Amino acid sequence: MAIVRRSLLLIALALYTSFAAGPFVWAAMMSLRTTTEIHRNHFAFPNPAHWDKFSDAWFKSNYAVYFANSVQVVVVAVLILTVVGAMAAHCLARYKFRFNRVIYFILFSTIIFPPQITIISLFQILVQYGLYNSKLGLTLVYVAIQLPLTIYILESFFARIPADLFDAARMDGYSDWEIFWRVALPIALPAVATTVILNFILLWNEFLYAVVLITEEANRTLPLGIQRFLGDTQEDVGMIATGLMIAIIPVIVVYAFFSERLIQGMTAGAVK
Amino acid sequence: MPASPPAAGRDDGLPKPWGTIIAFLLPALTLYVGFTAYPAIRTLWNSFHRVLPRREEFIGLANYVELARDDIFWRAVRNTIVWACTSPLIEVTVALLLALALYAKVPGARFFRVAWFTPVLMSYVVVGILWLWIYNNDWGPVNVAMRALGLGAWTRPWLGDPATALPSLIFVTSWMWVGFNMVVLLAALHSLPKEVIEAAELDNCGWGGKLVFVILPLVRATLLNLIVLSFIGKMKIFDLVFITTKGNPLWATETVSTYVYKRAFEWTTFDLGYASTVATVWFVIVLATVLTLTWAFRQREKLEY
Repeated sequence: MAIVRRSLLLIALALYTSFAAGPFVWAAMMSLRTTTEIHRNHFAFPNPAHWDKFSDAWFKSNYAVYFANSVQVVVVAVLILTVVGAMAAHCLARYKFRFNRVIYFILFSTIIFPPQITIISLFQILVQYGLYNSKLGLTLVYVAIQLPLTIYILESFFARIPADLFDAARMDGYSDWEIFWRVALPIALPAVATTVILNFILLWNEFLYAVVLITEEANRTLPLGIQRFLGDTQEDVGMIATGLMIAIIPVIVVYAFFSERLIQGMTAGAVK
Repeated sequence: MPASPPAAGRDDGLPKPWGTIIAFLLPALTLYVGFTAYPAIRTLWNSFHRVLPRREEFIGLANYVELARDDIFWRAVRNTIVWACTSPLIEVTVALLLALALYAKVPGARFFRVAWFTPVLMSYVVVGILWLWIYNNDWGPVNVAMRALGLGAWTRPWLGDPATALPSLIFVTSWMWVGFNMVVLLAALHSLPKEVIEAAELDNCGWGGKLVFVILPLVRATLLNLIVLSFIGKMKIFDLVFITTKGNPLWATETVSTYVYKRAFEWTTFDLGYASTVATVWFVIVLATVLTLTWAFRQREKLEY
């Protein structure tokens, strides 16, 4: 009886797994088949596998540009976020001063803001300052939208570092900056890694701000490129699937190596 | 010198290194003021104006009056609230069942956990295109499977039918987020004290009893937390709708976010003022509901174990 129940449970779990992961396997198969092959049978294995579709997408359909733009915007944004966010978080956790909690609360409450409240004016502001339709503008906006969550996660970690450590460092003649850079930051490395991963994934997938603030082909990030490609070639299912895989593969590669870290990063803040 | 407790907060009367404090905070605050606070205030200001590309004029509450009578807006509000109220419950329920299954030590639990988490790592753009295909009327797996099972009469263009479009999209977001909720719940289950559950077993408590009287109360805080988090996410939903249906058919899937986008950047009125009014009103609604939820769900008595 117990064995029957256990195998039923396992079958149910296997079914759910194919439901959760099936769409990606299907897309991966289609990414190696031509649209003609796909329309003959939508659920067949790629035989033969058309690997050249990837180089076609990369060179002929501009995915190389989209990919480079995404990497540039996201990497720079994550770097700025990490340094600026850690500085603010360290300051809020370490120094006692008037308005400390007020600043913390204002930053923290921004997490629930719907993006619409800023996006229309951001469009106006970036146009005014010549940052509209530029990677720099999008990068700065990305830093701003992820800053509250970054500070929130890092602050709670910095706050747990015992103050004795800082007092000892001060007696050793460390300056305030050195205490942050050489003492606090290295200790907080696990939390920093968490925010780096979280910000990377969220910004790599970001679409709303990009679609409002970027219009030029040369500045499109991957999600925008895919969307444009979908609009241009509704019917070319095979090529769109290849484009999807180009966007998915970096995430899958990172996930394959750091699945635990990634899960931890994504769920940070959800667990109290 | 006595070590001060690390908890930051109130002023302790000691002289403050204001220079250092400002230096540490300045970059973050500058970005915050320039790209979050100022735009938010400007949106509020916009909402009392007609904002055309080259000129602005003050029109008082005219936008708000128009909004009150705007049927599409209220349709979008209804759709978004339906989405934000159903999706979290589906996600959390399925996630709890799956988490309990893995908690019961099935073989391959680690693999299942990693596999189920995958959808949430993908962008809504990718997910949207995948599900456009899955719901495809002619060759989408949903209709193909239904025809194979002899349910051909029930097949339809799922996203093209006003009756099924919104539920179909709600289903997609649930598919995407179940794994995330499951992982968080599983972590909460694993952090429960073993003795409590063992004690329940000794008391001859069945699985159902153990779930309702022991496990659920213990993970209550996590459950409510996840519901609020998912609720907030669905109140913001934009990408998925924008990629799949653009709010069609007949505004059946219009959400407030897509409506703001359309009014600001797609309608040929070129007026950013009205869209700002929609954004401002929605901002107030979201803030009020989230605060109410947090207040209603606050932990009344702390469970000790």
